[in-house]
Amino acid sequence: MQTDDRKDTGGAVISAVMIGIACLVIWDSMSYTDPDSAVFPRTFAGVLIAASLAYIGMWLFGRAKAGAAQEGGASVRRFLLVAVMLGGTMAMPVVGFIGAALPVFAALTLIAMYDPWTRFRVLVYPLIGTAIVLGFFYLFREVLLVPLPTGSLFEG
Amino acid sequence: MKTTRRSLVMTGAALAFAAGLGMTALSAPAQAEYPEKPISYIIPFGPGGESDITARMQQPFFKDKFNQDLVISYKPGAGGAVGWSGLNSLKGDGYTMMGVNLPHIVLQPQQKDVGYKTDEITMLYWFHYTPDAIVVTDDSPFKTLQDLIKFAKENPGKMLFSGSGKGTAPHLAKVRFDKLAGVKTTYVPFKGTGASVAALMGKQVTAAMAFTTVAANYEKTRLLAVAMEKRHPRFPDVPTFKELGIDIVSGAYRGIAVPKSTPEPIRQKLTSMIKAVNEDPAFLKKMEEGGFAPVDYAYGKSADDFLSKFAEEVTAAAKEAGMLK
Amino acid sequence: MAGFEHLLTALTPLNLAFALFGVVAGTVIGAIPGLTATMSVAVLVPLTFAMPTSSALILMGAIYTGAIYGGAYSAILLNTPGTPSAIATTFDGYPLAKKGDGDYAITIACLASVIGGLVGAVALMTLAPPLSQVALAFGPVEYFWLAIFGLSLIAALSEGSLIKGVAGGALGLLLSCIGVAEVAGDVRMTFGSQTMLSGIQIVAALIGLFCIPVLIDLVAQPGHHLKVDSGSRGFRLGEAVRYLWGDKINAIRSAVIGTVVGILPGAGGSIASLVSYSEAQRTAKPGQTYGKGEPGGIIASESANNATVGGGFIPTLVLGIPGTPPDAVILGALLVQGVRTGPSLFANQGEIVYTFIWGLILATILMLPTGLLIGRYAYRTIITLPKALLVPAIAFMTIIGSYAIRNNISDVIIMIVLGAFGWIIGRFGFTASPIVLGLILGPIAESGFVQAWTIGRATENQMGMFFGRPISIAIIVFTLFTLLSPFVLARLKKIKDQAHAD
Repeated sequence: MQTDDRKDTGGAVISAVMIGIACLVIWDSMSYTDPDSAVFPRTFAGVLIAASLAYIGMWLFGRAKAGAAQEGGASVRRFLLVAVMLGGTMAMPVVGFIGAALPVFAALTLIAMYDPWTRFRVLVYPLIGTAIVLGFFYLFREVLLVPLPTGSLFEG
Repeated sequence: MKTTRRSLVMTGAALAFAAGLGMTALSAPAQAEYPEKPISYIIPFGPGGESDITARMQQPFFKDKFNQDLVISYKPGAGGAVGWSGLNSLKGDGYTMMGVNLPHIVLQPQQKDVGYKTDEITMLYWFHYTPDAIVVTDDSPFKTLQDLIKFAKENPGKMLFSGSGKGTAPHLAKVRFDKLAGVKTTYVPFKGTGASVAALMGKQVTAAMAFTTVAANYEKTRLLAVAMEKRHPRFPDVPTFKELGIDIVSGAYRGIAVPKSTPEPIRQKLTSMIKAVNEDPAFLKKMEEGGFAPVDYAYGKSADDFLSKFAEEVTAAAKEAGMLK
Repeated sequence: MAGFEHLLTALTPLNLAFALFGVVAGTVIGAIPGLTATMSVAVLVPLTFAMPTSSALILMGAIYTGAIYGGAYSAILLNTPGTPSAIATTFDGYPLAKKGDGDYAITIACLASVIGGLVGAVALMTLAPPLSQVALAFGPVEYFWLAIFGLSLIAALSEGSLIKGVAGGALGLLLSCIGVAEVAGDVRMTFGSQTMLSGIQIVAALIGLFCIPVLIDLVAQPGHHLKVDSGSRGFRLGEAVRYLWGDKINAIRSAVIGTVVGILPGAGGSIASLVSYSEAQRTAKPGQTYGKGEPGGIIASESANNATVGGGFIPTLVLGIPGTPPDAVILGALLVQGVRTGPSLFANQGEIVYTFIWGLILATILMLPTGLLIGRYAYRTIITLPKALLVPAIAFMTIIGSYAIRNNISDVIIMIVLGAFGWIIGRFGFTASPIVLGLILGPIAESGFVQAWTIGRATENQMGMFFGRPISIAIIVFTLFTLLSPFVLARLKKIKDQAHAD
C-alpha cells in the first residue's frame, strides 16, 4: 500500500475504452425499429460515459489513486493459458470434443508445471488427465445427454 | 508423492460414481432396420417451455410404436435462431431432428441476418398449433368478447393486453384484433406466456392475449374467444373469433425439421412415424385436454403450401405492427 | 402440522432411496460450474414418467435442492458459482478458502443450506396458498425496483473506487442487452456476428468473469492454490454450529428472504442470495468484515438460495406459475403425467402434495451428512491435487460446463474472452462483481421498466405507476437506506479519524 501517490493512468485508459464501448452501443441503437428496445441501452451507455468521464477528470486533477500494485508472476504462462483454452475451443467443432480436450489438457499441464518431472509424474499425470477427460466425456454425453461436438473431420 | 497417489485414487472414485449414474441412461437393444438407435430430438428453446412439454408428450408414444427412444436435448438462444441456424450443419442420417416453431422461422430471417433463411429449413411435418385466445381471470367483469370490445371502444388505449414477447403470435393477433374489431388497445410484452399469465392473474393487465393452453393449465382463467375455424372440443362454450365476426384464425404452430442432408427415403419414413404418433387416439386425447389443436401438414406439397400461405399472412401482419419494414 | 399423516407415505424405502440419490447426484452436479439445477432436473424427466407422481416429485425436488447446495463448493473453492444461486457465496467463501478455512466455509454452507431449505419447505407446507399471492402482487414496476435494489449492492461491492463500480455495473447492464431483446423485437449489439446473436449466457459469463482470472493467476505462480494449514481438522462442525448459533438472526432472515424471493416468478436464487447478502452486510456487527472472508456472508447466501427451493414450489403448485426455472421443468413433467397444478391440487390431490413436501424435507435433512462428506472430499481433492493437474482440470471443467448450458460453442468462446477481459480490467481496479450484478439484473430491470412504462403511458399515470404502489415504495425506501447508511457511517468515521489524527 505504498503506491498511494501513484496516479491511476491504467484506470483512466480503461475508462476511455469504456467510453468507446458506450459510443458503440449508442451507434448500434440507432438501427432499432422498436423504440422500447433503445431506451435502456442508451440510458446506461450514458451512465457509463458519465462515470468514465468523471474518473478521467479525477485522474487529470490527480485525485485518482491506483490501488496496491499487483504482484508479478509469469505473464507468458498467463497468455499461453488463455491462448490454449481459446484455440482448443475454436478447434472443437472440427476435431471433436475428445480431439480438442486431450491436447488442451496436456498443454495446460505443461504450462502449469512448476515441479520437476520425475518418472512417477511422467507416468501418472497423463493417465489422470486422460481419465478426467474421458470420465467427464462419458458423464456429459451418456448421463447428462449433452450433445458434445463430434468434429466435422470424423463425420461421413 | 503421497498426495499424488491419493488424488489418483480419488479420481478413480469419481469416475466410478459417474459410471454408477450412467447405468440408468444406457439402453437401446440392437435392431435391424431404421431406426436402429435412439433419435436425437433437439428443442431450440430451454427446458420447461411449451415446446419442451409437447416433445415430452410425444416421447412415450414414439417409444411405444417404434421401440426407440427420442432423446430430447436443448439448444436455446436468440428465440430459437441459434438452433435453426445450426440445423443444416448437423448430421443428416435420420437420427437428428429439430423442433420448429411458427411464426418464428418466418419472421426472424426477415428482421435481421440470423444465420438461416426460412426456405433453408427442411420441414417434415407440422403437427399442432396452440390457437391464440383472449384470456381473462375468472372473476373478470368481462363475460363476453363484446363486453371487452365495448370497454375498449369507450376507453381507447386503456385496455391492457399482456402477451409473450413482440413479433410473436400473440402480438400479431393483438394487432389484427385491433384492426378488425375497430379498437385501440395497449400491448404489454412479457418474457414468455407464463409471465404474461402471471401478470393477468395479478391484475396488472385487463386481459391476456395468449393461447387456449392457458385455460387448460390455469384454473382461475377463462377464455373469451379462440382464433380457430371451429370451437375447441375442450372448450365447447367458448366462441371462435369468426363466429363473432372477427376473422382471426391464428396461433403458434409447431413441427419437425431435419438437416438438409437427410436422404429422401428417411425423410419419408420419419414423416410417417411422426404422423403416426400425432394420429394416435390416446395422444390426440392428451393434446386436446392440454388445449392444443392438432393439424396434419406432412412433408411435401401439404407442408409447403401451408407454410407459404402462413408466411404471407403473418408477414403482412408484422408489417402492420411495425415489426418489419 | 398439516398433512402429518403423509409423513409415513413419504418414508417408504423407495422414496428414501430417491431422496438420497437425488441429493447426492444434485450436489455433485451443482458443484460442476455450468451444470445448473435446471439442467439436472431436466435430465431426470424421462425417468420420472414410469414413477408414481409423488416419488417423481421427491426425486426431482431432491436433485434440485442438492444442486443448489452443490453450487457452494465451487463458489468457495474456485471462486466460481457452480450455479448462479451461489454468486454471493463467492464474496466471502473464496476469501475464507484462501485464508486456509475452506473446510470451515463448506461446513458453514452446508448448515446454512439445510436451515434455508427447511424454512422454505415448512413455508410450502403450512402457508402455500396465502403466500402464493405474493407472486401476483409483484408487477412489472416492482421487479424494476427490485432490480434497482440489487444494483445498489454495487456501492457495497466496489472496493476502492465507487466510480469504477458504477462503470462496471453499467457495462454489465449493456452486456445483458446483447442479442435478441427480451421484450422488444430488435436484435441488439451483435454487429453482424453469429457468435453474439444468442447473447451473453449468464452462467457462462459468471464462469468467465470469476473463474478465468483465478486460473490466470494460478498458472503464474508456483505456490499452492489455497493456503493449507498443517494437518486435518475434520469437519470443524462444532465451530461452525457455534458460529451459526451466534448469527442465527442472519440465517433465519436470509431464509425468509429466500422463501419470498423464490415465490416471485421473475426473480430466483441469484437475486435471493444477493438481496439477503445485502441485508446481512447492511446490518453487520462491528468487527464483521463482509467481502473479506466473513462466514456470515456464506450463511446469508446459502440459507437464502436453498430457501428458494421450497419458496419456488409455492406458486408452482398453487397457481401453476413456476417460481424458478427448475420449477418450470418440474411443472412440465407433471403436465406430461397428467397432473394439473392449481388451487384444487391441494384440495383434491393432497396426498401427492404432502408426500412430496415431506420428501423434500427429508432430502434437505439428508443433505446434512451427505453434504458434509462430499464437501470434505471436494475440499481435499482441491488442496491435494498438484497444480499441474488442478489447472487443466478446472480449465477443462469451465469449457465443458459453459458448453453444456446451451450446447453452444459460442458461449465457451464468450466465456474465455470475457474472462481474459475481466482479468485485465481487474488489474486496474474494475472488479467482476458489479459487472455480474449488471448482467443478472439487467434483463429484469429492463423488462420491468418497459412494461411499467407502457402501462403507465396507457393509463396516463406514470408517477403513480413508478412511485405510487405500496410495495414499490417499500423497496425504494430500502434501497435508499442501503445506499445511504454506509456513506453516513463512513463520513462519521472519517470525521472521527481526522479528529484523532489532528
